[in-house]
Amino acid sequence: MTGPRLVQNFSGTQALLVVAPTAATDVLAATLMKLGLTVATVLPAGEPPWLDLAILEPERHLVIVDGDLPMPGVGASAVGDLPPVPVLGLVGVEAPSRLKGLLQLGATGLLRKPIHGASVYAALFLAVNEHNRRRLLEERLARHEERRRGRRFVVKAILRVMHEHGLDDDAAFELLRRDSMRARRPLEEHCEALVRARPDHRAAPERRRAQT
Amino acid sequence: MDQRRHRIGILLSSTGPYGLVARSMLNGALLAVEEVNAGPGGVALDATVVDPEGAIAGYVAGAEALLGSGIRHVVGCYTSSSRKEIIPIFEKRDALLWYPSHYEGFETSANVVYTGASPNQHIVPLVQHLLACRGTTAYCVGANYIWAWENNRILREALALAGGRVAAERYFPVGETEFDQVIAAILAARPDFVFSTLIGVSAYQFFRDFRRACLARGIDQPARMPIASCSLSEPELEAIGPDAVDGHLSSSVYFSSLAGARNRAFTAAYGARFPAGPTLSADAEASYIAVHLLAAALARAGTEDVGAVRSSACAVAFDAPQGPVRLDEATLHACLTPRIGVSTRAARFDIVAQASEPVAPDPYLVRSAPRVVPASRRTALRVVP
Repeated sequence: MTGPRLVQNFSGTQALLVVAPTAATDVLAATLMKLGLTVATVLPAGEPPWLDLAILEPERHLVIVDGDLPMPGVGASAVGDLPPVPVLGLVGVEAPSRLKGLLQLGATGLLRKPIHGASVYAALFLAVNEHNRRRLLEERLARHEERRRGRRFVVKAILRVMHEHGLDDDAAFELLRRDSMRARRPLEEHCEALVRARPDHRAAPERRRAQT
Repeated sequence: MDQRRHRIGILLSSTGPYGLVARSMLNGALLAVEEVNAGPGGVALDATVVDPEGAIAGYVAGAEALLGSGIRHVVGCYTSSSRKEIIPIFEKRDALLWYPSHYEGFETSANVVYTGASPNQHIVPLVQHLLACRGTTAYCVGANYIWAWENNRILREALALAGGRVAAERYFPVGETEFDQVIAAILAARPDFVFSTLIGVSAYQFFRDFRRACLARGIDQPARMPIASCSLSEPELEAIGPDAVDGHLSSSVYFSSLAGARNRAFTAAYGARFPAGPTLSADAEASYIAVHLLAAALARAGTEDVGAVRSSACAVAFDAPQGPVRLDEATLHACLTPRIGVSTRAARFDIVAQASEPVAPDPYLVRSAPRVVPASRRTALRVVP
């Protein structure tokens, strides 16, 4: 499987800046606009989260968070809590608690404060493409997890076919594989359907025990 | 002997929200300038004092003005946010900032000399003392900013390694004075100690309210649930007031009550020069050290050139009120002597523990932090009989 396609032009993306009102982000905003992004500032007021994650679209938005804000990463303990868009962290105080906050928020790139215009594009490039790569890996991992859960149905189906057709395991597997391809569905799904269609069918070892 | 004159800057917010501590720092620096000028060192200092009034913009303008006038060496800043803001200016103009305050570490710059304590010289010894003498369960109350977050992190990890735990961490906006709820929660949790990273008026109010709540319940607060902190200094003890001043633990490299002729001479000179106060603090001593080290480095280098002064500063030592002080060449942080004090009714500290010799700075905690963050113990479920 190939990796995600590299993004190198960020025009049309909206950067949402979550920074303290006093933060000097003029250089950052000006550079982002030169790179074709639009910039909106989200002032952190009250308790986090300061941003409604539901409104974010992966292809349209980018979040830039100041790591010096009180609790940038609070609440994001699971992948599902992370913003679905690339996150770029601004580093002021370089202490572990601050970096952990940005990490917990899913930052895939960092920019050191005060911000030099010449470092923005590289940070953006890394943050966006690393985010895309990670999302692809996460999706792939989720698919593998799904298939792994289906493996026990494959084993059950092989045992059933061996018993019913008097085949060895290789031949039983080959039969199931061919059937699943004909039905145009993954092997695991096919086997699960087969097993669930007759859930009362006894596994072969039990049957043998019952006969003795 | 002719004295070579050098202009230096002093950038401290003697007015504004943390003016009390900054005024004692300014006094410490000015006392050192006068001692240098009257001494046999061969250099004289002309100090230009700028007050940024606690505003970040004031620090930027002040640093630009001082360095723009040709000054290469500035003693200044108390908060980390102000220091972070002006370091790029010092790096761009190749000048040296002499930063005289304890702070949370995780920073080095070739353009900053740090004469205050780094975390291995304040929070690490405090945690060791608390674990050895007070117990393993902490309740953390702090101001919502970097100083509190980092100190709580170090405490949490050290307790986890020792099999202890943090019952809870509560953060408050700077200036908060309403603590009834958290005090009720602390009294219910019954920790072995309270770790406070509150600052200013919030801290003073918390100390008073917690003592009063314990008294009302017949709890001997200093013995049963002492409050420990890394930033509590003598001027602040006075601000807490007589009803709740005693029995608090503080970790510091300097207390005004230190024994020895050197510190007696220092406190006497400070008291005579600044009878109106504020009282001496650890950061005032760090400012005093900064100016003396700067003067000795200028004398040795024979020039204000930053590279030459930096090298010279690492080659000189200073007999400070806290004991011998020198700079670590790799980090430009000072080797200092950690101590633990317990506050008295006289708003001073009794020293209950101290390192046998100066401890080398370790701003990134490479010698004392575990490589991997230790897992915190979850609060165990209680068996209900």
